[in-house]
Amino acid sequence: MTAKSWLTPTIIAVVALVLPFLLRDPYPQHILIMILIWATLGTAWNLLGGYAGQVSFGHAAFFGLGAYSAGLLFLHLKISTWWGMLLGPFVATAVAVPIGLICFRLRGPYFALATLALGEIFRLVFTNWVKFTHGAQGILILSTFPTKLPYYYIALAIWGLAMFTLNRLINSKLGYYFVSIREDQDAAESLGIPTTRYKMYAFLPSAFLAGLTGAFYMNYIAFIDPHVVFSLGDISVMVILVVMMGGVANPWGAPVGAAIYIALNEIFRAWLGSANVLAFGILVCLVILFLPNGVMGELGQIRRTAFRQKPAAAGGGQK
Amino acid sequence: MSLFGQTVICGILLGGMYALIAIGMTLIMGVMKIINLAHGALVMVGMYITYVCYKSWGLDPYIGMLIAMPALFLIGCLIQRYMINRLVEVDSILPENQVLLTVGIMLVLTELARLIFKSDYRSVTTGYSSSTFFVGDMSISIPMTVGFFIAMAFTYLLHLFLTRTDLGRSIRATAQDRNAAIYMGVNAPRVTVITFGIGSALAAAGGSLLLPLFYLWPDIGHLFTAKAFIITILGGMGSTMGAIFGGLTLGIAESLGATYISMGYKDVVGLVIFLLVLLFLPGGFKSLTKR
Amino acid sequence: MKKTLSISAVALMLIGALIIAGCGGGKQQAPKTEAKKETVKVGVILPLTGSEAMFGAMEKNSMEMAYEELKAAGKTTVGGKEIELKFEDDQSKQDAAKAAAEKLINQDKVAMLSGGYSSANTNVIAGTAQSKGIPFLIVTGSADKITQQGWQWIFRGTAAPASKYTGALWDLIDKVIKPKSVAIIYENTDFGTSSAEGFRKVCKEKGINIVFDQAYEKGAIDFKPMLANMKKTNPDVVFAVSYVMDASLIAKQMKELDFNTKLFIGGAAGYTMPEFKENAGDASEYVASTTLWIPNVAWKGAADYFKKYKEKYGKEPDYHGAQAYATMYIIADALGRAKDFTPAGIQKALKETDLMTIMGPIKFEDWEGYTNQDKPTTYVVQWQKGKLEVVWPEEAASAKLVFPVPNWKERK
Repeated sequence: MTAKSWLTPTIIAVVALVLPFLLRDPYPQHILIMILIWATLGTAWNLLGGYAGQVSFGHAAFFGLGAYSAGLLFLHLKISTWWGMLLGPFVATAVAVPIGLICFRLRGPYFALATLALGEIFRLVFTNWVKFTHGAQGILILSTFPTKLPYYYIALAIWGLAMFTLNRLINSKLGYYFVSIREDQDAAESLGIPTTRYKMYAFLPSAFLAGLTGAFYMNYIAFIDPHVVFSLGDISVMVILVVMMGGVANPWGAPVGAAIYIALNEIFRAWLGSANVLAFGILVCLVILFLPNGVMGELGQIRRTAFRQKPAAAGGGQK
Repeated sequence: MSLFGQTVICGILLGGMYALIAIGMTLIMGVMKIINLAHGALVMVGMYITYVCYKSWGLDPYIGMLIAMPALFLIGCLIQRYMINRLVEVDSILPENQVLLTVGIMLVLTELARLIFKSDYRSVTTGYSSSTFFVGDMSISIPMTVGFFIAMAFTYLLHLFLTRTDLGRSIRATAQDRNAAIYMGVNAPRVTVITFGIGSALAAAGGSLLLPLFYLWPDIGHLFTAKAFIITILGGMGSTMGAIFGGLTLGIAESLGATYISMGYKDVVGLVIFLLVLLFLPGGFKSLTKR
Repeated sequence: MKKTLSISAVALMLIGALIIAGCGGGKQQAPKTEAKKETVKVGVILPLTGSEAMFGAMEKNSMEMAYEELKAAGKTTVGGKEIELKFEDDQSKQDAAKAAAEKLINQDKVAMLSGGYSSANTNVIAGTAQSKGIPFLIVTGSADKITQQGWQWIFRGTAAPASKYTGALWDLIDKVIKPKSVAIIYENTDFGTSSAEGFRKVCKEKGINIVFDQAYEKGAIDFKPMLANMKKTNPDVVFAVSYVMDASLIAKQMKELDFNTKLFIGGAAGYTMPEFKENAGDASEYVASTTLWIPNVAWKGAADYFKKYKEKYGKEPDYHGAQAYATMYIIADALGRAKDFTPAGIQKALKETDLMTIMGPIKFEDWEGYTNQDKPTTYVVQWQKGKLEVVWPEEAASAKLVFPVPNWKERK
């Protein structure tokens, strides 16, 4: 059992480590880095949204805060944006505390919309607070490394950290608390689980990882402005889309979703000309319609059917 | 004083416009409890239909509205029948995957509009587009006033429909408790289909009324979706009268914010009010009347 | 039954998408098959989808039109090789712009890059091009700081830095308008903020009183609260930097509020476009604007371009299209002179550019902290009787400036 549970991650780690040597061209490497960025962001969202069931529509706020922590360090103190990788996650976490205390009083769509509003507030404030943030002019730096390899391994390390954190949390007692909150918050409370506190335990690491990803994004893309990093449509909603396509509440959901999202988007963009977003939209509809639990979520279903096992009692299943 | 008056008048008129777009959403959210991110895109489709009527047959936007509304009713019904209802039947970990479906629908509608009409900005300039009358030295836009009253009329009609007809009562029953409604013999899937249709038709009406004074391009939907959410929550999900109050509140708050704080921060004012209502009055204005 | 129906509905959608995809893909591949001889690839990154697609499409059309003209004149064959344009969509998003730049540089091995509409995307493409050492010729992106970084690989010819759009305007203000007070409104985008910053700075130097200064979020329905507030300050002149449709709403709503100033001046962008007039209607009358180009400028070929574009695509182009059209000529000219098609060779050829285009003479110079930046020629134009007339500089003027403009109520 233990050997088996270590097998898959080890294989994936080895593949991930040697992959850039197989794909030497910087262009596929860039795509891999983008996949890792989205995989990390998706994993962060999955912890809160997938496991604890708190669907956040405002994760761009933490991503943006991380990115701006790095950018503003450079802008005001003239120090390297890499220091943002230290500062960014903590800024995001610190901001997440009051947000969590406010928003966790709300449930379901109300929680979703509250986080949506908070994300938008951050975007508007960072756009209009020109003296401090340079507003829409954004922050432009020259990237540190000319090659992709260092970025790739840093992104890989961040993703590894995210996967490790996620696995440690969900395989501990906390993980069961998260799922019980998701499935029935009232029941969880009546069993004596302090739900707000446990939601925080899911939220803070989630914000930390989103902030870290944001800080890395600043370093890698080398330009940010508020409309990009605090974007509702391109970050907050897209991260949900990534996780849901891959599979919610599944540790491999975010990476698989990210790979699908980035790779397909890129293939469509490069080959379909101006119809690319349309094709992507149709694909999203199809995935959600036919694989409502995402690729990884339905994979289990398919496997169960294939091995003719009875569905687990808790699994529910289709009727 | 006249500055204050002007601001409030602008806010009220704008709020009426917002309300009409939001009524459709509040109906959909109230019955189905889903966050419909395609709502703005439906407004956009309605606007394009009205626009085509104007350009091809010279129909006034207020008449074009009568074509756009049934068209959108049909589109809405189809979306609900063949896409969203399919998902409701499936057991999934998070019910929010319906939201993602609406994101997909939004992308498809927006890009189809782009394919047909290009990304060009379009506008309909009618004789009354910028006509105004003055009260004291405060200017009042006539198309906005007309739009405001039509919005009120629609709300009232919808209210009558929901409270006086069998179908309306079934919609409200499904909104309150879907399972209980089904036990009482309500055909819930059919009710949701009709609800989504009506919601979409109202979105189209909002778009048609805005067309003479605003403009149109495929991405315009994003502007409306967020506003409609805020109003829906302000008013309380599923409450038509709440949507009017929510719309007016948001309109006035934005106008006052634009005048007395800064035009750049006006949306922040709206969002902060939204958060405050969420926290201290989670049922929206609807819950005030129940006490 | 139900399932079959929904599956067939979805399948229909898929087929539709495939047809569209086929069309799109087919179009893209067409030039590849005919150009069998060796090519020099030029990557062009423009927004073909997303919120900026309207301008991206106009620029792509203009570049293709210029390319066909050059081809007819035999100028697309340089050093025995054929220039090949490779268009990439940036989806109006910077992530996609970065991916497109990476793809063009590393996979398609382009000799140089061009394009760049929004400032954000231009920044990202410029950053990538600079770190890879590939020449990048900007079409539209006008944020000041792109050419202020000292980046040797970045060239900007047809676009001015945002704060330099007002050259001719200041001349006009000094000589004719002489306002005591101005009001500034601008959209809170990169272009808007930079333009307003530049204008504000000169106002302060000249001691002109700024009575109102506010940014707004683009896409608002109702500008009246801001305008009513501004009306109270009673400025002599209003300077506004707006996108095209915001511009038309601002003009319309000023009329509705009966807000009179001696002159309303737009800072390029929206106020010169045909859509502005169409939507603003008679409220557009006497609105002045700075601009880089209009169809009736004196430069040779400008009017022809306008006419030809309108015939071919059924729509009036504005200065964005002209920028792309002129850029294509600069590319062909530079590649024609380049000794070899290495990045350094093309960089050298670009640096030595001295070409007359429909945007005026183009030279890449280092001045006032800018690198490889053309010194722009700017104009002040005014809508008169529904037509855009050049009113300044005087030697290029096609009509006389109407100043101060009549009050709304005095007009018919």
